[in-house]
Amino acid sequence: MTEEIQKNLKTEIDKYKQVQKDYHKALNQRRQLDGQLNENIAVKKELDLLKSEDDVFKLIGPVLIKQDVEEAKQNVAKRMEYITSELKRVDELITTLDKKQDTHCETLEKYQQMFQQAQMKASLSQPKA
Amino acid sequence: MSEVSMTETPNLRKVDLTTLNLQQLTVLRQQLDQELGIFQDSLQTLKIAQSKFQESGSCLEKITPSMEGNGNEILVPLTGSMYVVGKLVDTNNVLIDIGTGYYAQKKVPDAKDYFDRRVAYVTEQMEKIQQLGLEKSKVRDATMDVIEMKLQNQMPKDDAERL
Repeated sequence: MTEEIQKNLKTEIDKYKQVQKDYHKALNQRRQLDGQLNENIAVKKELDLLKSEDDVFKLIGPVLIKQDVEEAKQNVAKRMEYITSELKRVDELITTLDKKQDTHCETLEKYQQMFQQAQMKASLSQPKA
Repeated sequence: MSEVSMTETPNLRKVDLTTLNLQQLTVLRQQLDQELGIFQDSLQTLKIAQSKFQESGSCLEKITPSMEGNGNEILVPLTGSMYVVGKLVDTNNVLIDIGTGYYAQKKVPDAKDYFDRRVAYVTEQMEKIQQLGLEKSKVRDATMDVIEMKLQNQMPKDDAERL
């Protein structure tokens, strides 16, 4: 009986740890996306502030390539769109993982109680025998 | 991060702090310490960014009065310890990195504006973080006070038991 509970407890702990890992990964991803979005917003602001005579270059590998301002603006807008959609996705992932973590926590507590009770019973029945 | 502080601060009023037990309080204090550390690191990074922008801005001032003729001579580093003489062909425009791989060619005064803008932005962010950090450290102090109080309440009990 106790062994079975112990096994259950162990698998549950492993599952919980896995969820926690995924959660942290998602958090990191979110932070990175947030930073990228901020950078893109700043770039967009700068592009909007450019005067007609100013040129824009894009760094591709080690070379700077001249680019049309309109094209650059479109590119940045597209990227911002993509990042915001990714951000939404990661946010949803985070909330589901959060819920998962909570349920795992609850079942863990339950198993722990069961384990303790079983141990108590075992220690009570031993002296009699 | 912001979410954490949003949900936590309302619960952190003194009334609630006293209802927590010592273990919870220490965990809370550790968490607050960690967050304060993150704030410190961010401030440090922002300070570095700020000084870099300021440096770039003041470099531009050296370029502006570069009259045509002899004033535009520069030394170009080929390696860290070897330089060759060069001449600036264009003293009116500079290329600046505006982020995500984009570079903009701007007139020197416009470029100066850009760096001023960046410095102002970074400074604003620093002020925000400082404000947040101040609030956090207040909460931390309150938590410390409660911990100390609880510890002192526990002491006489221990003494009584020992006697």
